[in-house]
Amino acid sequence: MTDGPVNPEPPTPPDGQDGPQIGRDEWVARVEGRREGYHGIMRPIREAWDRLPRAGKLTALIIPAAIFPLITAEGNVFRYGLFTMVYALLALGLNMVVGFAGLLDLGYVAFFGFGAYTYAILASPHYNLHWQAEAALPVVVVVCALVGFLVGLPSRRLIGDYLAIMTLFFGQAFVLFVNNANRIKFPFVGYTDLTGGSNGLPNVDPLNFFGYKLGDTRQQYYLLLIAIVLVIVMLYMIRDSRTGRAWRALREDPLAAEAMSMPVNRLRLLAFSSGAAVAGFTGAIYVTIATAALPGDYDVGLLILIYAIMILGGFGSITGIVFGAIVVTSVPELLRSTANARPIFYGVILIALVMTIRPWKRLAAVLGGLIAFGFVVHAIASAWYPRLVEGKAQGSGWFADFLNHWMLFPTHVTTMAQVLYIFMVAAIVIVPQLPRLWRTILLVPLLYLVIFVWENLMIEQITGATKLILLGAMLVALMIARPQGLAGEAYVEIV
Amino acid sequence: MRRRTIAFAGLAVAIAATVAFVASTATATPTRVAARSSAGSALVKCGKTLQIGFMVPATGPAASIGVQQIHWANYYVSQYNKTHKAHKIKLVLEDTQLGAANGTAQALQGAQALASNPNVLGVVGPAGSNEIVGVTKTLKDAGLAWVSGSSTNTTLTTDGTRTGYMFRTVPPDAVQGVTAANYIQKTLKATRVYIIDDEEVYSTGLADTVQARLKAAGDTVTRTGVSQQQSDFSALIAKIPSNTQLVYMPWQLVPKGQAFGQQMQAAGKGSIKLMGSDGLYDSAFASVGKNVYDTNFPLNPKSPIIKAFAKAHDGDGQYFGAPTYAATQVVATAVTKACAKGTTTRAKVRAAIRATNIPVNQSLLGVPIRFNKNGDMSTLKKFGVYKSNGSVFVPVA
Amino acid sequence: MDWSLFLNLTVSGLTLGAMYALIALGYSMVYGILKLLNFAHGDVFMVGAYIGWFVLHGLGGPLGTDIAPDLVLLLMFVGAMLGCGVLGVGIERFAYRPLRKAPRIAPLISALGVSIFLQNSALLIFGAAFRDYDTYHFVGVKTFQVGNLFISGPELLTIGAAIGLMIALTLFVDRSRTGKAMRSTSYDREAASMMGIDVDRVIAITFFIGSALAGAAGVMWGLVFGQIYNYMGFIVGLKAFTAAVVGGIGSIPGAMVGGFIVGLAEAYSTGYLPQGSIFANLYVFALLILVILIKPSGLFGQAAITKA
Repeated sequence: MTDGPVNPEPPTPPDGQDGPQIGRDEWVARVEGRREGYHGIMRPIREAWDRLPRAGKLTALIIPAAIFPLITAEGNVFRYGLFTMVYALLALGLNMVVGFAGLLDLGYVAFFGFGAYTYAILASPHYNLHWQAEAALPVVVVVCALVGFLVGLPSRRLIGDYLAIMTLFFGQAFVLFVNNANRIKFPFVGYTDLTGGSNGLPNVDPLNFFGYKLGDTRQQYYLLLIAIVLVIVMLYMIRDSRTGRAWRALREDPLAAEAMSMPVNRLRLLAFSSGAAVAGFTGAIYVTIATAALPGDYDVGLLILIYAIMILGGFGSITGIVFGAIVVTSVPELLRSTANARPIFYGVILIALVMTIRPWKRLAAVLGGLIAFGFVVHAIASAWYPRLVEGKAQGSGWFADFLNHWMLFPTHVTTMAQVLYIFMVAAIVIVPQLPRLWRTILLVPLLYLVIFVWENLMIEQITGATKLILLGAMLVALMIARPQGLAGEAYVEIV
Repeated sequence: MRRRTIAFAGLAVAIAATVAFVASTATATPTRVAARSSAGSALVKCGKTLQIGFMVPATGPAASIGVQQIHWANYYVSQYNKTHKAHKIKLVLEDTQLGAANGTAQALQGAQALASNPNVLGVVGPAGSNEIVGVTKTLKDAGLAWVSGSSTNTTLTTDGTRTGYMFRTVPPDAVQGVTAANYIQKTLKATRVYIIDDEEVYSTGLADTVQARLKAAGDTVTRTGVSQQQSDFSALIAKIPSNTQLVYMPWQLVPKGQAFGQQMQAAGKGSIKLMGSDGLYDSAFASVGKNVYDTNFPLNPKSPIIKAFAKAHDGDGQYFGAPTYAATQVVATAVTKACAKGTTTRAKVRAAIRATNIPVNQSLLGVPIRFNKNGDMSTLKKFGVYKSNGSVFVPVA
Repeated sequence: MDWSLFLNLTVSGLTLGAMYALIALGYSMVYGILKLLNFAHGDVFMVGAYIGWFVLHGLGGPLGTDIAPDLVLLLMFVGAMLGCGVLGVGIERFAYRPLRKAPRIAPLISALGVSIFLQNSALLIFGAAFRDYDTYHFVGVKTFQVGNLFISGPELLTIGAAIGLMIALTLFVDRSRTGKAMRSTSYDREAASMMGIDVDRVIAITFFIGSALAGAAGVMWGLVFGQIYNYMGFIVGLKAFTAAVVGGIGSIPGAMVGGFIVGLAEAYSTGYLPQGSIFANLYVFALLILVILIKPSGLFGQAAITKA
């Protein structure tokens, strides 16, 4: 998305390594990244995408989103569309704080919750206020911006890590407060049930613009879509404005920015406030969809989700974030059933192998060896330790049949699989550190072990523990492979 | 430049189209809304196997009570399948992990899975009151009724948002709180009471009721709370005056109750009586000591069903799960009735549950099973009170 | 002035504080050397608690040990410390070493990923139910009573062992060659490597020691409070982290003092402040924010001369 001059002959890296080097000159990193990244099939697509002006990209994103509700019936798929958009909105707001201005805000979902609760107080039977949306929404936005401002005030004296800590604690404090606000003796009013405590505030009114109620899920969807488009447009405009450029300078090198007489503190406060305002706005809309404001919704789990979206999509990249939101909401849904989880798991392993084992022959050797290894082990087990193969693979179909002949399925597998899980994690850490030959040789039994643990232990818990294990592993792997996220800008940090 | 113009034009078209669609859906609103509220009117074919959803904490910190519910529900299903020829019942189990940090999220996922499974006609559970708050909208939108065998928070049935959808085979906390307060006051004659809730919906409701009644009788009552995620109660225990006679702790997680009791002993306050509620009805809590009391759901201990169950489970009555048997019975009976003609809808199952009338000789609760308009059984008027004999709870009132 | 309440709260606070201090040491040491906030450290603490549980049950469980209880305790500690130390070194090699030159946020996210991974791996393997150390049947809670003060065996053990470990660490860092290497690496990594110090090895040792201490804290937690579960590392880690920051992150004496301060703050606020047991965490966080605002580098930390 940059329009800098493109040097047809990028300078060769001094130590001959390929790939953009984080820690080197930013311009160089970008150019090489560009040239480097477009291989093979993706090349014409990526180049075409880069050539599109921004409005074109936006249109390309909107049209599928607009058609989506017409082709899906009401139901879970639809709800996930709604949630995707809420998360995307949140991530876009967070992008303003973290991606644009470089402030690590770990209490962001507290603003989301603040907006939700404020709207719930203004438009529910709780205090018998039934404000209409056109009055309540601006109030929510202003109040949240104010809170963002207040939270940002102490940040003036804090550098990166301390800011992260403080905002994290603010987030925790918010959840604690909201959970117990019906027990606090406020200074002037005494005990009052401000937030409903652990019950939350139920029966929030649906959005009501000038008397026109948006009660239907489809209408809410389109409203969210409009909101996203507006926010994206706003973000684009901000990014190229003076403030956006000032934020970028602040992110890259705060000391230099200050030396350039940029009002650093004001910029920080502005970033916090704007991010909080977007979060509050999203919170108000969200609470009308969920029809209740519950304390548990605004806790660390959601924070991790939003950050995962931002990391996946790349800090600072708007299209990346939208993409990340879609992935993060759809993948757990896809993973709900065994039938879906398997292709994803094996697909990921295959892709990882293809991308890391370079010469084709080596890759073929590993895959062939793996298949052969499996059959050999299965044959040995059938002959000498029949109890190891008495179980069956989950699910049905040709693949499960294949697995039954290829993989071990012991009957009382749980303890064994648990021990082997630990062994597997240790092996995954150790094997890549070994010299190349050993690595290739041990890769085959290691893969077999991984598939064993997956089939026997992890696949059952696919909706619970396994999903999050995969998320954690994905975060680590992503950071190691590509720290700037999938679509982010590689940047240099000057500390 | 031209490309830019085209792109902007495209954007304008997209926005215009969006607005147009919104407008069009606006005119179509009445039918849309109507379609939503009669969700659950989709026709389902009743095959040989009738599927009933079952939301229960199979794993997690509350697993010890969840497992009891699972045993009782399975017991009912096995009895039903033995005696009925036309249909068989299958339970679709969703683990809600009540009490775990992401427990409500798990419950929500389970509810969504059941809602989108077209063969599920009704739901037994969920177990926890806070879970029900979380899954209400999902289940209601899908037209599913649910019958809980353990959720007791009073407002769930009285606030009007779940009428016709939520039912329960246990009395609400208004009754449990009254039973507990009466016992504390009249039998134990305690006048200095310390109430600790666990900050969750279920607990604060009970604590409120007991506190109000004890205060009205003139007792010295101190009230505070502690989070379910907390392990260290020593500072809180230090604050409890040593002349306190009873600590009322309506918690949901047995391990926490046990830890609290043990830490009380370690702090030299083991002589203070402890009283829990149905969430702590477990031998682990009873093992804390002999001055531990508990209230639990009303049952008919002489019921032949309970005796048969205990016999099949090595003498262990697992009383916490007994109302879940009744809940499963209600849903299964309703589904069978609604399926009399071969096809049915979730709405019909709801109506059948509302019209439940199981006679007393088939009910292990000691009363016929009938629901009032809120979904409660108004015939259940009292909770049972139990005392620990050092290792298990035995009834005292 | 209710002395018995005060003394009991103090004991409670010191016990908590001892555990926080041990965990905070890990945070501080790692930050000092790598300038990295190791989010996964709290989960290493959790793993230590589980290892202790498994050692206990491997040797027969609380009710049926054949060997002397003191030996069982010792083995639990040794096992947890070794296991966690190895885990810490493994995490460093796998998740942090490749990111030494990446922007600061990358190892932070990686640490977050490791934390999620550990929590849910524990969930997968150990299940979501609480596991019980059953200390009260095992060590046989001898509650010592001095006047109105009650202190239980496990609490005494915790405070004593923690102080012992901290003394050992201080001696190690001050007197030994490796300790000196650690100090100089945390002061200036590049200069240290130019002086011939094997920085990778020093970092590995730092992680080992920090994680071992967290593992010991895990066993102590299990003994004193009885129950362990897979998410226990999160909030305890957060508070230990508060302790490290209050004491001055990067400073070893700071972490020790900070730990006790936070533990005592938690106990006193539960005991004395209104609705203390509900809002104790809030009060602790408020303390942290106060300290950060007044002296951002913490009690013992040096005012950071950073470019930012």
